[in-house]
Amino acid sequence: MNTMTIEARVPLDGALNPNAREVPLSSTQITDYDHRQTVGKITVDNPKMLCREVNVYYSEKHALRQVSLDIGANEVIAFIGPSGCGKSTFLRCLNRMNDTIASCRITGQIQLDGDNIYDKNIDVVQLRARVGMVFQKPNPFPKSIYENVAYGPRIHGMVNGKAELDELVQASLERAGLIKEVEKRMDEPGTSLSGGQQQRLCIARAIAVNPEVILMDEPCSALDPIATAKIEELIDELRENYTLVIVTHSMQQAARVSQRTAYFHLGDLIEIGETDQIFTNPKHKLTEDYITGRFG
Amino acid sequence: MSISHDAHTVKQFDIQLANLRNLVLEMGGLVEDQIKNAVKSLDDEDLTLAREVISRDQIINGLQVKVDEDSITLIALRQPVGSDLRLIMSLSKAVTDLERIGDEAEKIARMTIKTYDAVSSPPSAKLLRDVKPMAKLAADMLHACLDALARLDVEMAVDVARGDDNLDQEFQSALRRLITYMMEDPRTIGHAINVLFIIKALERIGDHAKNIAEYIIYLVKGKDVRHVSMDVLEKDAMAAE
Amino acid sequence: MNKLDDSAALPPTASRDIKTIVNAGLKRRHAAERRFRGYGLTAISLGLAFVVLMFANIIGKGYPAFWQTYIQVPVTFDPTVIDPDGRRDPKALENADYAALVRAGLRGLFPQVEGRRELRSLYGLISNNAPLTLRAQVLADPTLIGASQEIWLLASATVDTLIKGNIDRTLDESLRPVKDNELGWIDQLHASGKIQRKFNTILFSNGDSREPEQAGIRGALMGSFYTLLITLLLSFPIGVATAVYLEEFAPKNRWTDLIEVNINNLAAVPSIVFGLLGLAVFINFFGLPRSAPLVGGLVLSLMTLPVIIIAGRAALTSVPPSIREAALGMGASKLQMVGHHVLPLAMPGMLTGSIIGMARALGESAPLLMIGMVAFIVDVPRGITDPATVLPVQIYLWADLPERAFVERTSAAIMVLLGFMVLMNGLAIVLRKRFERRW
Repeated sequence: MNTMTIEARVPLDGALNPNAREVPLSSTQITDYDHRQTVGKITVDNPKMLCREVNVYYSEKHALRQVSLDIGANEVIAFIGPSGCGKSTFLRCLNRMNDTIASCRITGQIQLDGDNIYDKNIDVVQLRARVGMVFQKPNPFPKSIYENVAYGPRIHGMVNGKAELDELVQASLERAGLIKEVEKRMDEPGTSLSGGQQQRLCIARAIAVNPEVILMDEPCSALDPIATAKIEELIDELRENYTLVIVTHSMQQAARVSQRTAYFHLGDLIEIGETDQIFTNPKHKLTEDYITGRFG
Repeated sequence: MSISHDAHTVKQFDIQLANLRNLVLEMGGLVEDQIKNAVKSLDDEDLTLAREVISRDQIINGLQVKVDEDSITLIALRQPVGSDLRLIMSLSKAVTDLERIGDEAEKIARMTIKTYDAVSSPPSAKLLRDVKPMAKLAADMLHACLDALARLDVEMAVDVARGDDNLDQEFQSALRRLITYMMEDPRTIGHAINVLFIIKALERIGDHAKNIAEYIIYLVKGKDVRHVSMDVLEKDAMAAE
Repeated sequence: MNKLDDSAALPPTASRDIKTIVNAGLKRRHAAERRFRGYGLTAISLGLAFVVLMFANIIGKGYPAFWQTYIQVPVTFDPTVIDPDGRRDPKALENADYAALVRAGLRGLFPQVEGRRELRSLYGLISNNAPLTLRAQVLADPTLIGASQEIWLLASATVDTLIKGNIDRTLDESLRPVKDNELGWIDQLHASGKIQRKFNTILFSNGDSREPEQAGIRGALMGSFYTLLITLLLSFPIGVATAVYLEEFAPKNRWTDLIEVNINNLAAVPSIVFGLLGLAVFINFFGLPRSAPLVGGLVLSLMTLPVIIIAGRAALTSVPPSIREAALGMGASKLQMVGHHVLPLAMPGMLTGSIIGMARALGESAPLLMIGMVAFIVDVPRGITDPATVLPVQIYLWADLPERAFVERTSAAIMVLLGFMVLMNGLAIVLRKRFERRW
């Protein structure tokens, strides 16, 4: 490997010798890794949610292994990783959406403000009012725009009277940055909006019940870049009042909107850290390989 | 830290990154030649060679522009992150330093021409005594630094950074000697100042080489070691993976 | 390097080859496509032809049944016959001999007719319900007594058949249902404009009868109505509730699998088996009345339930899971999710399934035969426990009768039944559209 020589004269006519120095093809790397070990600091100073040693099984399949991490108050945390890595599964654990899957079994602790959400005396209805969710495909109810936003407050009995409800709907749409676009067409079906507007309607619907945490499962994967940018801007604004957890396939998006990023791989939480650190200087080889596009 | 040498899923990206790195190493090789030739022209009183060095600086400048263009294209098209981003940024910064080194070589060549032009008598050998060892030191530093870049060898980069202190000391003592000569014999002042510019250029080459070594440490370790003491630099560079 | 390039480049003939190869096969492919289209068109036209044939046949046969022949008879409401006491006692009026009035009127038309046999033939021209018609008129308006009026009386079925041209006059008299003398009278009446065809209201207002000209489908219609009402009231709520429970709430285990398999099997059970079940359980065990729409409805509910459940489950599964997730994600309980979102979206499908099931129930006769709804019932049922029959069974009954006039009525009843089928299917479409308009 010492074939490079200064004396090797570089011809001056432009036909330069590209192999004056050899670039090594590989160097010593730690390629195997401990399945249980997460790289990076999992704790934060002011945690909103606390997850410890969470395991998820689908029938016999061990879908998520020993995941422990904190979700800080008023932060945006992004979960990234290749398909089937368990990031969506973990997200759905946070408001017990996995309960609907009969074969799904969950062990470990997930706390919201110190209460274990899998405790017997926690009602999922109350939990999901506190931990809202926005899905990959915009899924407004096939009802009017107004009804879409009013649905949550109505079923939870949050308002007294029509005036109060009107006000809440108005405020939610405003916070979702949609009010200007739908002011004149509140009675039109939610499905008549464009994809990006539908997704913001879903966000408005989620924040209408004033949740503490909002989970977003690839909220922009069905949207064009402009609509995506609007959602990302919205996420940034929402951070002031809510804690946001976002699963995304777009690493650029994770880099743009989140403060912390967690990388999942085949059911393991591989690395977690500040987003800028993850994207400039990841500690784990798997993270590095994934974000630089060397995966597979 | 981690630097991955696995191939990217997008093969074209690998090829472009390799091309960029080869271009920088190629430029490094050219710059090394330039220094050698500039010092040789001084040594041999070879004005033709000196002029050749001056004209060849254009090639180096051209390469710098090319590397910058390629880096910007890569950033725009591939949105590199992690080690890819560090590699591109480091290379892009390294070429700036390489180009400066090229400028310093050109400066030495100009001094050669100035020193050995027909008008004045040639300088005495003692004035030029320090140039040769300093030139060797500087050339070795650059050589090691380019090797480190080629192999992404952190230890070697640390050695280069450490070597800069030697060169600085050499420069200080050479400067003191020159001042002594000038005070002894004011007629030598003209030549002495030329020599001063030459050793100053050599000292600058060392600084640039050290910069490149620091970029290499950043590239491999992800730690920014600019503007820190040698101890901290060594500690960061050798930190466990 | 050169070698590699050579082998990599396609030989220049290759592109031409693929073109000719494709072109060669192209004709065959197009021909196959045309053939397939031809088969399809043939099949559809064949099907349509049969439908047209069936409708033409039924309508052609049944259309005359909507018209009925009447004979104008001068009737004198002779007080000595109707009200010999002169007290206008309704009881006496009811029991009076109106037939005598009819007979007198007929004799007035044909004074030359004499002899018992001749006269009986003459009286036979008028349906034997004519006295009832007269009685109804008198009871409604007693001032008629003593007056004389030309009254249109219902002709007998034989006259009706003759007028509709369904009796061959050229046949030998002994083979003809209408004898020569009757033929003469009828032609005479016809010539003097005293025979007319009017719209047959009796068909829609009367129950069954042994006399074809007096037989109607009202009894069967009401029977069908009550039966279907029971079926709808029972099978729709139970079916929808079952579908919702099985699809949304029931745990998936061996028991629910078993139930599911059984429901699917029930849908394929021959309908007569349900009739036997109804006979054994509802009539023999629970002692419910025979021939009643109540039992008929119960039996048809059993038959319709699987259809509604299967259609309902299919409608529920077709509701996108994203809507369920959206509702659950908002913190809706399972019941709220189903009630507010899933059920409204599944409703059009469920309604369609139900109405198709009901249409099947409307056309069903086999199970009803088993529970005695095949009886000859003259009265129009007025409740779910009255003896009744239903349209398909009525059709089945009439189809067995030899009189020409019943053949007509059979076809007419089939037309009415088909009309209701079309109406119900139309309703299904309208309801679906109405619900679907709510996105």
